[in-house]
Amino acid sequence: MKEIRELLQEADPLRYEPTWPSSRQDLHRRAFLAAASGSRAPAEVGSRSRMVFATVALTAIAASFLGSRVWSVFVSDLQAAAVRFEVRLAEDRPASGLREAKVSGSGRAVYLHDEVIVSNSDIAVARVVPGGGPSEYSIGIEFKASGAEKMRAATGNHIGKLVAILLDGQVVMAPVLRTPIDVSARISGNFTRAQAERIVNGIETK
Amino acid sequence: MSGQHIARALPVVVAGNRAERLTDLFDVHYARLYRLARRLAPSTDDALDLVQETFLRAAQFPKSIPLGAANEEAWLVRVLINIRRDQWRKRSVRDRHDKAILRGSRLASDGRDPEAVLIARTAVWQALDILPPRRRAIVVMYELEGLAIPAIASLLGISAITVRWHLSTGRHKLTDALKAYLGGSR
Repeated sequence: MKEIRELLQEADPLRYEPTWPSSRQDLHRRAFLAAASGSRAPAEVGSRSRMVFATVALTAIAASFLGSRVWSVFVSDLQAAAVRFEVRLAEDRPASGLREAKVSGSGRAVYLHDEVIVSNSDIAVARVVPGGGPSEYSIGIEFKASGAEKMRAATGNHIGKLVAILLDGQVVMAPVLRTPIDVSARISGNFTRAQAERIVNGIETK
Repeated sequence: MSGQHIARALPVVVAGNRAERLTDLFDVHYARLYRLARRLAPSTDDALDLVQETFLRAAQFPKSIPLGAANEEAWLVRVLINIRRDQWRKRSVRDRHDKAILRGSRLASDGRDPEAVLIARTAVWQALDILPPRRRAIVVMYELEGLAIPAIASLLGISAITVRWHLSTGRHKLTDALKAYLGGSR
């Protein structure tokens, strides 16, 4: 007569299935680190920003682009003037019709699609939100309904591939899409507060 | 300009170390959590989602994770079981309804095994669904992971007596549900 244990051991799915796909584990790791990098709210940021941040973090682009590689080269060249904002789909390998671009600060090459999904006119609000560490700030963006619709349509079919965010024609980040982006996105980077404010003002005045 | 770079260096280093610690947390515990999740959840995808959800919870409350691998594991395991319990409460009614359909499709999808064996295996595994997630976790840890009762108790932060009670209730329910497969005198 069989025992419960024996029955369970025979039925245990781990005996029959391959292990989990490592690609999924990598995605999970990136999403985890991205979420963790945004989870500290520096004391000097007001509660309003924190609330915005919380909503943004949930739907944010899930990729961790911590640290110095994204910004240090590029941001110093920004003027106080208007900032041109664009989101485009991208690939990690070349193909016809794609334009090669380097991600600022890292030198990583990505290959951009021609079509601009959303630009400044699709943004409802841009705000400075807490970044990955003390005195580091990111930029939270909320799209208008039209922009959100365009983002949802474009990113929904592009899961697992790259999306590029450009400021003044420069790719500032190109994370892997984990879920479709719709109403909001976060540009993570270790801006100083002044830099982040300058970009936010630039995005909104354009 | 160069002054700016120097000023920026420190926070970057801090963020790096922190990211490293979190990466370690993830890499050390991922496999263990997946194995538990797979035995609590109905499919591979559900298990992966469960693990993902657990780590996102960890990312949300990094300061509440205690130091030390054993403590981290206990924290993560409890969070995972709690998340599974919430899902189970919401879905248990619908799941029971769908079970017949699900069973049919699973059988159809795998033709390599002799049918009878597969039917038995599927039925046995589905019987586990009648157990609430925490009880199921205790049964899984004891019967499949081979953990001792005191180890389960400390992992879940409950008393050995409670573990024993869950175990005996769980086995009783399973025995009832699996009479046909236990064979012989039952």
